[in-house]
Amino acid sequence: MKTKISVLLVLFLMSVGVHAQIDRSKQPEPGPAPKITLENPQEFQLKNGIKVLVVENHKLPKVTFSLRLDNKPITEGNKAGVSSLLSSMLGNGTTSIPKDKFNDEIDFLGARLGFGSQSGYASSLTKYSSRILELMADAAINPLLTEEEFQKSKDQLIEGLKSQEKSVDAIASRVGNALSYGKNNPYGEFTTEETVNNITLQDVKDFYTTYFIPNNAYLVVVGDVDFKSVKKAITKDFGKWKKGADITTATPATTANVTATQIDFVDAPNAVQSNVVVTNNVDLKMNDPDYFAAKIANYILGGGGEGYLFKNLREEHAYTYGAYSSLRDSRYNAGRFEASSQVRNAVTDSAAVQILNEIKRIKTELVDPKDLESAKAKYVGSFVMALEKPETVAEYALNIKLNDLPKDFYETYLEKINALTPADIQKAANKYFKSENARIIIVGKGSDVLTNLEKTGVPIKYYDKYATPVEKPTYEVALPADMTVEKVLQSYIAAIGGKDKLDAVNTINIVAEAELQPGVMMNLDIKKTSKKQFAQEIVAMGQSVMKTVMDSKSGYVVMQGQKKEMTEEEITKSISEAAPFPELNYLNNGVTLESIENIDGENAYKIKVSEELSAFYSVESGLKLKEERSTPMGSASLFYSDYKDVNGIKFPYKLSQTMGPQKFDFVVKDLKINEGITDEDFK
Amino acid sequence: MKKSLFTLASLLLVGHLATAQKVEFEEYDLDNGLHVILHQDNTAPVVTTSVMYHVGAKDENPERTGFAHFFEHLLFEGTENIERGEFMKIIPANGGKFNANTTDDRTYYYEVFPSNKVELGLWLESERLMHPVINQIGVDTQNEVVKEEKRMRVDNQPYGKFLEQVKVNLFTKHPYRWTTIGKMEHLDAATLEEFQAFNKKYYIPNNAVLVVAGDIDKTKVKKMIKDYFGPIPKGAPIVRNLPKEDPITTAIEAKAYDSNIQIPAIIQAYRTPSYKERDAYVLEMISSYLSGGKSSKLYKKLVDDKKMALQVGAMSISQEDYSAYIVYGLPLGDTTLANLTKEIDEEIVKIQTNLISERDYEKLINQFENQFVNSNSSVEGIASSLATYYLLYDDVNLINNEINIYRSITREDIQAVAKKYLNPNQRLLLEYLPEDKKQ
Repeated sequence: MKTKISVLLVLFLMSVGVHAQIDRSKQPEPGPAPKITLENPQEFQLKNGIKVLVVENHKLPKVTFSLRLDNKPITEGNKAGVSSLLSSMLGNGTTSIPKDKFNDEIDFLGARLGFGSQSGYASSLTKYSSRILELMADAAINPLLTEEEFQKSKDQLIEGLKSQEKSVDAIASRVGNALSYGKNNPYGEFTTEETVNNITLQDVKDFYTTYFIPNNAYLVVVGDVDFKSVKKAITKDFGKWKKGADITTATPATTANVTATQIDFVDAPNAVQSNVVVTNNVDLKMNDPDYFAAKIANYILGGGGEGYLFKNLREEHAYTYGAYSSLRDSRYNAGRFEASSQVRNAVTDSAAVQILNEIKRIKTELVDPKDLESAKAKYVGSFVMALEKPETVAEYALNIKLNDLPKDFYETYLEKINALTPADIQKAANKYFKSENARIIIVGKGSDVLTNLEKTGVPIKYYDKYATPVEKPTYEVALPADMTVEKVLQSYIAAIGGKDKLDAVNTINIVAEAELQPGVMMNLDIKKTSKKQFAQEIVAMGQSVMKTVMDSKSGYVVMQGQKKEMTEEEITKSISEAAPFPELNYLNNGVTLESIENIDGENAYKIKVSEELSAFYSVESGLKLKEERSTPMGSASLFYSDYKDVNGIKFPYKLSQTMGPQKFDFVVKDLKINEGITDEDFK
Repeated sequence: MKKSLFTLASLLLVGHLATAQKVEFEEYDLDNGLHVILHQDNTAPVVTTSVMYHVGAKDENPERTGFAHFFEHLLFEGTENIERGEFMKIIPANGGKFNANTTDDRTYYYEVFPSNKVELGLWLESERLMHPVINQIGVDTQNEVVKEEKRMRVDNQPYGKFLEQVKVNLFTKHPYRWTTIGKMEHLDAATLEEFQAFNKKYYIPNNAVLVVAGDIDKTKVKKMIKDYFGPIPKGAPIVRNLPKEDPITTAIEAKAYDSNIQIPAIIQAYRTPSYKERDAYVLEMISSYLSGGKSSKLYKKLVDDKKMALQVGAMSISQEDYSAYIVYGLPLGDTTLANLTKEIDEEIVKIQTNLISERDYEKLINQFENQFVNSNSSVEGIASSLATYYLLYDDVNLINNEINIYRSITREDIQAVAKKYLNPNQRLLLEYLPEDKKQ
């Protein structure tokens, strides 16, 4: 009897198993975290030192070769930029194949080939892989380093530096590295026009000979190859490469963090946004036991749209479009934590304070388990999805070697992430995010932001754009006691041509053009007469965006097709500016001389024309440099430059308009005096 | 398994197969007619779950255009078991990503997850098919979203209406004559019942293909598919009887105006056969020859050397019933549209009269091989290709064999196809002008 019951029981259970219904009303539980099956690279080494890792993957008939010269960090000193020049010159021909022929062959094969100063990359279809390998090796071993290519690369590099000169973000990054690591440290040094000009073609060749050597090189092959044949090909092509003299650079020491949190301020008078970075150096290596906890802590703090920083600075306070953090590990003591955001000038101090608050929060409060789970899921998801690319597989294989990681580092990656607890996160945050020993590096417009930054009570140090300590900038230059508003206006009128010439002007028509984005033009047409008539139209992409017409006592505005009559008050306000040279009337309107301010490096007298409008005239040249208008939507500035002579009168040919973070440069295309304008234009 | 014209072509080229990739797949039907394709690739713990429905803009009522695309939005609203708004939140919170897209021929939905979430992906897709909640609040919400999308992608976009203009001129009977995004007044006029009826008609298992690709255990996944999709009832078979176009024998000349542009464009559009036809592949090669990259004929001549054009291009819009082959140019400086047409025509005539050079031919083949290989470099891409080849090309094996069609095309074929389709009397010549040129 007993056996029968148990048999029945088994049958019963089985049938339950077969007919079990899924419960589709609930979201299914995930399976166990997947184990990663990473292929183990096959390896061999060439006599010249190159270690070759081969990941056979026959899914696609495609091969990639990545070369990495694993030299210690290199200091370039007063020739900083020499490595950039080498990388742009490499891969443009070889001593036996001219440049055009070399590049044409790559295109024809549908292949890709490129070099860095310490790396190389090539990929192609399997059937062309032996040729692309040959070309890659030839380009690496026998590069064509010509004077012509050198000059071209140098010009491009300098052009690039120039285009970045005023970039707040470029300044922030350069100063950030220089202060964090020191200017003589390979991670802190930077390239300038001066250092590039110190470089000769011979320097590039010397750099190549010294550092582009196979001694510590890794060549990673991923794709549709057969180990034996690729080994043979690599031995043939890369075996020719002669070993170089061993490099004996010492690994730089970790730079100590500041003893107390400080603000390092760089003045950028053109900034409309401040770049705020809270940073400290960290000693974090991939093989540290708390590596994963540290990475997840950083992710929760500022990894994306769900991070503490983003939620606070963008969603809660609307200071910025984004706020993020990063945590860099390094096997050369160059790890660094950064929490950063680009914010409106007016909220610079508050943003710095809020970033510090969020860092403090993740150090003092345990993370909500739900947030941790979500962070883990996203982190795991991104990690896993990246694995699809063969390049990632190669990178991981190499990382294990370079960072001395356990063989199963990546196989157990997901488990380690999933095992993390809120306490682990808090511990790591406390170890790596040094809110008490941080540099708050701010690049911004000092005249707008410094007063409030001083109120935070955090000590402030000042630096120039190249991280050299400077005195606190002064924005207020004392007005000379004998200076008057009359003198300023007279000097302006004299500077542009003199009262007699200006009085002879009855009408002006200015046509200017600005490029909104490449190929998209905006046109501005301004007409003014001495009879208090004024018309202005802005046309973008063929459509009238805004049109203002005023005729001494009446006026209207058409915006997006909507016409609106101006009120009497509006007309009174605008009428004084309607004249060809409003300055001629200013003296009768009770304008006042306010102060001297710095406009893009040039001192200028500030004259208050009305509650809304201030105008700035150069102390040196007398010319008008800027008008600043406050509107309900914020302040808008119009900069005048590039003065040119028309009939003996100087007119600005470049009008730069800023509104919030946007800036448009209007360039005058046509300027007519006393011609082509009739009363009809103001109807 | 449906048959194809091309199996023969690929058999003839056995020699090349040795170097081609092989995407393994398994396919079967559930009892309710849902076609399932599994592609196992355990190299990365990633899985894509996707469903392609054989419904697109061409299945719409001419008075209700935009329906198919509207569903791409509507079916993220929620289901009987997934509360409104949750569908799109569940995915990222589980480390996944998702998207959907619509053409005139089909609608595609997919998610990519770490592979231990495969059941979640299947649950989401089966919920969407089995019992989506289609109610007024959802319709009203998505109506606003779709309008925003149209404003951003079409109305506010320079040259945004060019495809609409090509379609309306090239097709007079076939539903390809309207746009995928459709008319907003049609969507505004549609009733809830109409949306529900559209769903009932087209969102049925026997009109769809489910692809599960990536790091899967086939046995387990098959059971999950049966559990989640098995109970969904079969729908009534869909019968399509779409009107056929008469051949174009005299050139169609048309003008269109766009307020977002300053530079006019000349557009030549030819009505060409379905992408299932071999000729369509030849036309793809011609378009690459004419405008693929900086060394291509039109680009080199008109942009680089003569500096007559700001931009030139050729493309084929490949579709199930007909395709459109389009060559366009934006003039630079004083160049007139007529001159640009003349220059473009010269290059086409060259293809019709002379064989392209051996080296150019070889370069084309290299380009197509690269493109083919790269299109299969992610599991996400493979899933989409598998679904497309099954549902629209009737031949899943194209995933491995399609390149052989290109390889089988000769220089003579290129010449012949150019002669057959690319003649001035067979085309639409569309002057696409700035709005202010309108008299």
